[in-house]
Amino acid sequence: MSDVIQSTDLDLDHLCERLPSHEREGQVFWKLRSRIGRNQLKYLLTESRLRTGLVVGLSLLFWIGLFALFYSGFTFVVSQVGLPGVREHAQTVRFVFTLFFVSLQVMLVFSAGIILYGGLYASPETVLLMVLPIRDERLVFYRFQEALFFSSWGFFLLASPMMVAYGLAVSAPWYYYAYLPALMIAFAYIPCALGAIACLLLLSRIPHMRRIIVGGAAVAVSAIAYHSIWSTLDIAGADVLGASWFLETFRRFEFTRGEWLPSTWLSNGLLDAARPQSPDPTDLPWVESGKYLVVLLSNALILHLAVLWTGKRLFRESYSGLHSRQARVVHLQLSWIDRVADRLMGMFSRDTRLLIIKDLRLFRRDPVQWSQFLIFFGLLLLYFANVDRFRQHRSDVSVLAWVNVVSFLNLAVVGLILSTFTTRFIYPLISLEGHRFWILGRLPVERDTILWGKFLFAACGSWVPCAGLVLVSDIMLDVKLLVVVVHQVICLLLCIGLSGMAVGLGALMPNFSDPSPSKIAAGFGGTLNLVLSALYILLVVLLTALPCHFYLLATTSEMPSKLLKGEYLNLWLGAGIGFSIAIAVIVTVVPMRLGLKAFRQLEV
Amino acid sequence: MIHFRCVTRTYGTHVAVRELELSVAEGEVLALLGHNGAGKSTSLKMLVGLLRPSSGVVEVGGHDVIQHRREVSRLIGYVPDQPYLYEKLSGREFLQFVADMYGMTSAESREAVEREVDRFELTEFLDQLAESYSHGMRQRTVFAAALIHQPKILVVDEPMVGLDPFSIRLVKDLLRTYANKGNTVLMSTHTLSIAEEIADRVSVMRNGELVFDGTVGQLRQELPAAGESLESLYLALMKE
Repeated sequence: MSDVIQSTDLDLDHLCERLPSHEREGQVFWKLRSRIGRNQLKYLLTESRLRTGLVVGLSLLFWIGLFALFYSGFTFVVSQVGLPGVREHAQTVRFVFTLFFVSLQVMLVFSAGIILYGGLYASPETVLLMVLPIRDERLVFYRFQEALFFSSWGFFLLASPMMVAYGLAVSAPWYYYAYLPALMIAFAYIPCALGAIACLLLLSRIPHMRRIIVGGAAVAVSAIAYHSIWSTLDIAGADVLGASWFLETFRRFEFTRGEWLPSTWLSNGLLDAARPQSPDPTDLPWVESGKYLVVLLSNALILHLAVLWTGKRLFRESYSGLHSRQARVVHLQLSWIDRVADRLMGMFSRDTRLLIIKDLRLFRRDPVQWSQFLIFFGLLLLYFANVDRFRQHRSDVSVLAWVNVVSFLNLAVVGLILSTFTTRFIYPLISLEGHRFWILGRLPVERDTILWGKFLFAACGSWVPCAGLVLVSDIMLDVKLLVVVVHQVICLLLCIGLSGMAVGLGALMPNFSDPSPSKIAAGFGGTLNLVLSALYILLVVLLTALPCHFYLLATTSEMPSKLLKGEYLNLWLGAGIGFSIAIAVIVTVVPMRLGLKAFRQLEV
Repeated sequence: MIHFRCVTRTYGTHVAVRELELSVAEGEVLALLGHNGAGKSTSLKMLVGLLRPSSGVVEVGGHDVIQHRREVSRLIGYVPDQPYLYEKLSGREFLQFVADMYGMTSAESREAVEREVDRFELTEFLDQLAESYSHGMRQRTVFAAALIHQPKILVVDEPMVGLDPFSIRLVKDLLRTYANKGNTVLMSTHTLSIAEEIADRVSVMRNGELVFDGTVGQLRQELPAAGESLESLYLALMKE
């Protein structure tokens, strides 16, 4: 022991006077953030270059793609309804902007509230901060800043290319670009602050009902959105995109242009900033736009104060209230799902069945896993169930071609979403066994059986929903039987290949030091798995989509080239499927063999 | 220095702590004992302001911990059972952050960090990121953070779990020396031998109620047939 503690002069008032001021607390938190940020950046640039490069590169690609899309869209709008200042232009663009921003506004409310809940009530860091002499409102604000950042980065990634593209398409003056960041930041602050206040109020008043209320609100918003989209598309086919359809749609979404909505202030501010100076010298666009910026800023600042005020009064009480709930004791029995799974897997050995059922139980009892699965596949199902617009013109060759393209794109989307799940949930499975490997390692079970069990669990578990989704898409698009069969074959190959890759690479590059599956998946091996998975999906889908595409066109119209005659096309199609099967075998067998070899020699 | 005045804490219909009356004086080491779920950690969390009592008052240095939370937090250093460190901060950066939050100047902060680094022998790993720390390194860093502002009271929840013999010796010496200087230590523990070795007084909780409060000698007098060691006395008390 180096020295003894000096007893403090216990003039408590004096000690407390020295505690940091409100501003100083803020500075200390900024210092904390900048230190963590600097260390994190150093780590990303030295230890995780592949992932960092991939994220930055893909984000840039995404941004440029969106920019190109929006730019061509706005150029088309300008060619049809004139430049800003023309009444039709303002109406059309206002319709697009308000609809876009009102949707994001609702999402920001939910995401900020949910992220704040996780940061404030379920984080071990909060416990540390709560025992330090930090003001409650400062603690809430510190967490709110995180919620603001994490919930609104998507908004900026989506909205910035759109806004820049609009500015360039209409040759907006310089102050449009000067106002743009301030308008967007002030706008994003408002729904995020509302989400934060709603979160604090909910947790302080009815903490036990929080999941039901948030879930109910999300279902209600989804139902409204679904109904709006459905009723917009549910107009006789000939009318779609016609004048009456547009007027009807314009009227139907009147509620998105309410004068009291921040999304309307943002849209009006942008439109005013983009329009040219009118002949009337008293009409100054930069002043009109500035007024909307002031409205947004003042509301954001008032809500900022409201967040602090609510945090100061409600946080600690709500934290204590939330942690006063009685722990729920769940009595688990052998579920019917396990019994059904056991019967369905009758062809496998008993050891394999037991290992698969163990993984199935862990999956079922982890809401993080199945809820994400449910949300993504549920959204896909919703989309596939409404993708039958092409049916009405199926005699037209160009529409037939689009039907075929869309059906293969749908297959690729299913594969890409599946690849994110295999990376996020299947790839870390072996790493997560590390801490409990003493159980599996001592069991009288071959190590190969453990790995094959995980492979079968992933392949069978993913094949059922994926095949179902692809079938729904095909039925709704009314594609030919040949395409249905090809899709089902490819879907099976994707499930087997992606599972083999995730399990094999997971065993080859395990990470036993990190207990968090998301961090394991975000490492080098997980990123590599995601990239290889995406390449595999694109390759397999392209190899079968192109021959299938030409085959269908050739059977419905005159094709000019000899190579596109029937006998060649059969060869193309057969070769495409053959190559796909060969690639699937390679991406399954090679990683699994490497993974099995590494797993047999594994010492934990 | 610490007073629990008829403190009750419930989780739904379950009573975790029932009408707890407990005081700890200056210069005293009190070991709070009890089975899992007896109410020890809940009592400590109420003391440091993480949880609020359903009824009753917890006072520290004459201040209600709910009404005067910031003042009370200046008096207390807390080492939780599952300590948190920022993975992407080094031990030094973490200690400086805690010192800053107690309003220390840069010079005071540097001096306090050096003092705790020497006390807990952190030099070897102080400038490494916390993500590379072993459990013992983490625990020693958290102890250093809890003492950086030289509090009058040290509250420790399960201080010895997972520590190596060197760290255990370090912590035991610290707790005893700390109390000898007129400070107060309240620790919750399952390690009865350590409680017997360094505690001035033991308080035993069972199902949320305080079933014994006194010295080990008094417990021996109360249970003369139970044996000499705190372990045998504790087990006998729990069987009653």
